[in-house]
Amino acid sequence: MTVDRRQRPQADGGRVVPNYAFTAGRTRSLAGADMPIEALVTATELGLAKAPGMAPEMRAIVEASTEPQSLAEIGALLGVPVGVARVLVSDLAAEDHLAVHLPLVGTDGRPRRELLERLLDGLRAR
Amino acid sequence: MDSVHADGRAATATDVAPGARRDLLPLKILVAGGFGVGKTTLVAALSEVPPLSTEQQMTSLSDGVDDTSVVPEKTTTTVAMDFGRVTIDDSLVLYLFGTPGQSRFWFMWDELARGAVGAVVLVDLRRIDDCFAAIDYFENRGLPFVVALNEFPGTDGVDDELVRDALAVPPGCPLVHVDARDDDSCTRALIVLVEHALARSV
Repeated sequence: MTVDRRQRPQADGGRVVPNYAFTAGRTRSLAGADMPIEALVTATELGLAKAPGMAPEMRAIVEASTEPQSLAEIGALLGVPVGVARVLVSDLAAEDHLAVHLPLVGTDGRPRRELLERLLDGLRAR
Repeated sequence: MDSVHADGRAATATDVAPGARRDLLPLKILVAGGFGVGKTTLVAALSEVPPLSTEQQMTSLSDGVDDTSVVPEKTTTTVAMDFGRVTIDDSLVLYLFGTPGQSRFWFMWDELARGAVGAVVLVDLRRIDDCFAAIDYFENRGLPFVVALNEFPGTDGVDDELVRDALAVPPGCPLVHVDARDDDSCTRALIVLVEHALARSV
């Protein structure tokens, strides 16, 4: 059986390295299953210390995260889908190279009232 | 609670990098609407960085009928989303996600809508068909939303009550007028949304 690669000319968005190569074929990460697209990450001291020896994409994530970055921003930075960024970020978090800051929601799944009030104050001050 | 590792352990002060702010909290608001209605323009007007684009790769079972093949067919769809960022205070960061309005992408909205403050449904009065699906979706999910009329030439002076009727905007749901290019105008729409969300929060 032959595979005609021309059938999916832009399947990887023109990237040289396919997404599955970044993640060793994984599309899910146990640790990151609930990490939403707006979750923020920051580099830890350990992560920054180890960054020079990391794979390029991991190093890029850690070094960008000296300022808080969302999962969406990590995806945009690397030019990979959010799902791929989630796997990479989960791996870095599992090694204590990144700290993950999740949204704070109440039992109804909505942001807490005090957060909405702070958001409102911030928007009114713009 | 607000700062945990992915494995659920609480982050400690010692493993936060110097200069990194603790107690960081992300928030998100969705900006929904049909193609070309001005979602990206609105995100750009509010965002402190040029809007970024990210891809969400979605796999769903194809909905073909009478599929007799042994292996279920899967389709992978890559959906591009523009998003922007607004720093609210020293620990709150608001993200705005422009969400594809076409109904075939709704399978991704559930994930996006989870935990959101609410949504702005952006409407071009010259093409209102594009917004019904979004209004239905947010109403059914109980997500607070406002309907924002993007003021294109030739759409001014339209009676709000007529618009509410035509769009079947639910009672109590705010209707606002915006110029998606204007920061202040878009900020006002967000303020109305957050006030609405607060009024509905327990």
